[in-house]
Amino acid sequence: MSTSRRFFLRNGAFALAGTTALPGFLVRSVLAQAASVAPTRRLVVIFQRGAADGLNIVVPHREKNYYAMRPSIAIPQSQVLDLDGFFGLHPSLASFKPLYDQGHLAIVHAVGSPDMTRSHFDAQDFMESGTPGNKSTRDGWLNRALQAEDLRRHASHTAFRAVALSADVPLTLAGQIPAIALNNVNNFAVGGRGPTSSPAASAFEAMYGSSGDRIFHTAGEETFDAVQMLRAADPSQYAPANGAAYPASEFGSNMRQIAQLLKANLGVEAAFTDVTGWDTHQNQGSVNGQLANRLRDFSDSIAAFWRDMGDSAEDITLVTMSEFGRTARENGTGGTDHGHANVMFVLGGHVRGGKVYGRWPGLDNDQLNQGRDLALTTDYRQVLGEVVATSLGANNLGLVFPGAAITPNRFLRLA
Amino acid sequence: MPFFRSTVSAQLCICLLLPSGASLAQTPDTPARNTSTRPGYHSPQLQGDARILHALNRFTFGPRPGDVEVVRSIGLDKWFAQQLHPETIDLSDLNQRLAQYPAMQLSTDRLLYSLPSNALIRQALNGRLPVPTGEPLQAVYENQMDRISARITQQRQQDRQPAPASQTAPNGPAGSPAMNPEAEAAPNPNPMSRASTDAAAPQSMSSSMEPAAGSSATPFDTLLIQDILGLPPQQRVSRLVSMRQPELDAFLKSLRPKERADLNAGLTPQQAELVSALENPERTVIEELIAQRLTRDIESSAQLQEVMTDFWLNHFNIYLQKNEVMPYELVGFERDVIRPLALGKFEDLLEATAHSPAMLLYLDNASSIGPHSVAAERASRNASRRPPNQRQAPEGLNENYARELMELHTLGVNGGYTQADVTQVARILTGWGVAQPQRGGGFEFNPNRHEPGTKKVMGQKFKEHGEDEGRALLHFLATRPATAQFLSRQLAIRFVSDDPPQPLIDRMARTYMTSGGDIAQVLDTLYHSPEFWSTSVDRAKIKTPIEYVVSAVRASDASIDNLRPLANALRQMGMPLYGCIPPSGYSWKSTNWVSTGSLVDRMNFALGLAANRLPGIFADWAPQPQDDPPPSAEQSSDPIANEEARLEAELLPGGLDATTRAALLQQFHDQIAQRAPGAALAAANPNVNPRRAANVLQREDQLLAGLLIGSPDFQRR
Repeated sequence: MSTSRRFFLRNGAFALAGTTALPGFLVRSVLAQAASVAPTRRLVVIFQRGAADGLNIVVPHREKNYYAMRPSIAIPQSQVLDLDGFFGLHPSLASFKPLYDQGHLAIVHAVGSPDMTRSHFDAQDFMESGTPGNKSTRDGWLNRALQAEDLRRHASHTAFRAVALSADVPLTLAGQIPAIALNNVNNFAVGGRGPTSSPAASAFEAMYGSSGDRIFHTAGEETFDAVQMLRAADPSQYAPANGAAYPASEFGSNMRQIAQLLKANLGVEAAFTDVTGWDTHQNQGSVNGQLANRLRDFSDSIAAFWRDMGDSAEDITLVTMSEFGRTARENGTGGTDHGHANVMFVLGGHVRGGKVYGRWPGLDNDQLNQGRDLALTTDYRQVLGEVVATSLGANNLGLVFPGAAITPNRFLRLA
Repeated sequence: MPFFRSTVSAQLCICLLLPSGASLAQTPDTPARNTSTRPGYHSPQLQGDARILHALNRFTFGPRPGDVEVVRSIGLDKWFAQQLHPETIDLSDLNQRLAQYPAMQLSTDRLLYSLPSNALIRQALNGRLPVPTGEPLQAVYENQMDRISARITQQRQQDRQPAPASQTAPNGPAGSPAMNPEAEAAPNPNPMSRASTDAAAPQSMSSSMEPAAGSSATPFDTLLIQDILGLPPQQRVSRLVSMRQPELDAFLKSLRPKERADLNAGLTPQQAELVSALENPERTVIEELIAQRLTRDIESSAQLQEVMTDFWLNHFNIYLQKNEVMPYELVGFERDVIRPLALGKFEDLLEATAHSPAMLLYLDNASSIGPHSVAAERASRNASRRPPNQRQAPEGLNENYARELMELHTLGVNGGYTQADVTQVARILTGWGVAQPQRGGGFEFNPNRHEPGTKKVMGQKFKEHGEDEGRALLHFLATRPATAQFLSRQLAIRFVSDDPPQPLIDRMARTYMTSGGDIAQVLDTLYHSPEFWSTSVDRAKIKTPIEYVVSAVRASDASIDNLRPLANALRQMGMPLYGCIPPSGYSWKSTNWVSTGSLVDRMNFALGLAANRLPGIFADWAPQPQDDPPPSAEQSSDPIANEEARLEAELLPGGLDATTRAALLQQFHDQIAQRAPGAALAAANPNVNPRRAANVLQREDQLLAGLLIGSPDFQRR
């Protein structure tokens, strides 16, 4: 079933029901009429930690050198899910193909952070802070995007405005705007779950509330606000909609919980989660194997989320990133080492999908970055800048990405 | 004590201005850093008992009741000198406790033989490894072989019926090779699959790790269960040894928790280990590894040695689930590499880690081959003879370890090296590998895999010299000033503050350079630095989950028969032991550990620990006869306040923030005491049934203790 079709049914455009791949502008013009009742747009950010191998994810299957450089791990041309005659998806991304065909999924290739570090940890920090090369940044681009949104329109926000499905708040979300981190929505209560606050919870709330310890005073306040809201939303009663089947993985579970939080009307504007397992130095596999397994979990979880969100998916933008790509050549142990440019996915009701964006730098030996990696042609901040400007209305991009000189006319116009 | 508490609370307000890690809590009008509070020579210094408490907070996993008095009687300087030299400390009590884990004394190959990994079990299934004859070991092998072959059969059946997308989650490191009996030759390739490891949940230490291979088996006869449980220990164990699959698993699955405890009642450590091995040998190793570590953290009198072991295990992080042999290698890595050298020379430690199978496998150096080595040339000749579709992956260089060796282990990311240096280091270290990794064969240098020729790293030439090339490289790296700076900073972040003062780091780095990288001397310099004793760093550190959990257990003086709930709590809080996937290890900085979710977990852990809801962990909050009565100056007419004061003195010798204490007592009066007016009732009315009053009092004490352990003040050290 096409999500576009659901949008139209809901918006009364019956004449178009049954059409699948609708042009994006048509969808938007219909939606524009309903803008006054539409909820705020929401942004979901996914970080693939460990440096995913973009060249085997969205495969440039017309590049001869791709096959020459990857004799044992390349995805054979006969096996890729062709997108446009040049690029094709890894076969494990089968559940992305309909989203691409329907025009909801856009791909940006040869994209990433311009910093040349090959350290996972520096690169992740740079990407999350949104200031490549600058180690002193203490807050994340997504937090600053919410700050930029506040500059533009004043609105009241809930404790769940910015939420991470993880043990701690990632740098992406850290900063002035309070953010919540939680592992499991169902365990999110103090002193036992129940319709009312436990005596212990009330006592803790009072203790943290009166504490002169600035860090714990604030963290305590945010915690108890969030606990109360979530209790009211009763997350234990959740069942995914539209037959969405999430993989039984941690990432699948996190995507399911993000759907839960988004649907519970808790005021979530920005949600973050990460997925690990991409650092494939060894035996990464080709059509099958390690990377294939990660990709299946990755795409099936995201596709299940999209299906689960149903009508509300129209207000959601989802973007994925990884700290850098991997070497264009496979290494001596059937894997790939730390490289440079990579691929990003952007999925959303307002996304002009069905296209691979970005200038392709080529894979000939003299076209590689430092003779070893896919060269970078698009700064990832261009993509994120466009995403936050359209989804959160955060158009003060000087605040979000200081020093990046991102200007709207250089946008990819993917949304 | 009253003097002491007020001293520290007076200083609390200073530490609230701490300069670091404030970004999460930062309010719009506050700058992220406040450099004016940086400690220096002229900043006020901690005095008296506050010094002792500070040292205990930083150099141990937190004070136990009475520790301040003990250190005072020894003398702080002398106590610290002892801690720097753990060989001078009597550890007989600890060693007695550790005797519960006999396998932890075995060499890696013996450990693999006695508690075989699933990889070895698959070799046995394929006939490539002889099954030991003679009980009980034969039973351990055969049970696990039956389970794994049942799993393989089940998987093959599933494969024949294509599953819907939702059921084809990637298999984890523990799961995927089991599906393929041929896959055991190479180290498991799945380096970073957190999702699947969580599904396998090694840290949860629950029996859910193994799918029920005997799931088709019928429930066990109740009378037979009673018969078996009624046997004397040796016969009970023999009976289990004589059972085979699926009978054994059916029996074990039918046991209720109480019966499960009865099954182990009266067994020697060896017998208990055997019972566990009959159920799952690999998991037995993981459980013992985690249990011995937590036991040492909680019980060892050589606390600084354990704190430093924790520090270096994090610095030289190894991920337990990298492959199936890693739990086995980690036993020796911690016991023989890290702990004995934790306070020794850094170069020795670096050498030992570089030679350890755990590190060589974790960061893939064991599979790296020089592109021009004998082995690579032979492989390419062989490959060219095969048809293209049967060619194996080409063998060659893997620079994973080379990079992390410089970035994380020695120089630091800004240590002045380039990508070209990384490749050169990788070439130098080719040939450093592991003999028979699946069987615990140990380090081996294979000259055939070594890249020939002279290499150049950061301007320094390393002439062709086999394994010695690598030794020379490690010496070079260990003696760089950048390494001295990087390690000193890391230590200062662990022991002083998130943003330690540069003069302190410089002083530590100088000691490092002049002492030949002597870790104990670097720590001694830290101890004798005014920055360490500055009031501005008092309680400036926020506890990481391991520091929080262990300090809570130590403060509660709980008796512990079961460490699983603590391992589970660490996992819940995002810091599973041996469970950090990336080589960077966990962060020592507070920003990573203060969040909404983690606070909920910490509060719930505190309440659970204090109320004895963690199975096998018991804390007694009743006043002990030898306890001093609460100081009379603090005695008030409010029995709850008196009780709170008594527990606070035990749990938080530094004292609770006065306003927090007032809020706690207010809450207690407002809603808790009204429902269960224990102390007040008992004090006011001597006719109340004493047993009932005692129960109510106990519950009140538990709640008070839980609130104190979960308080903001207990989150700091």
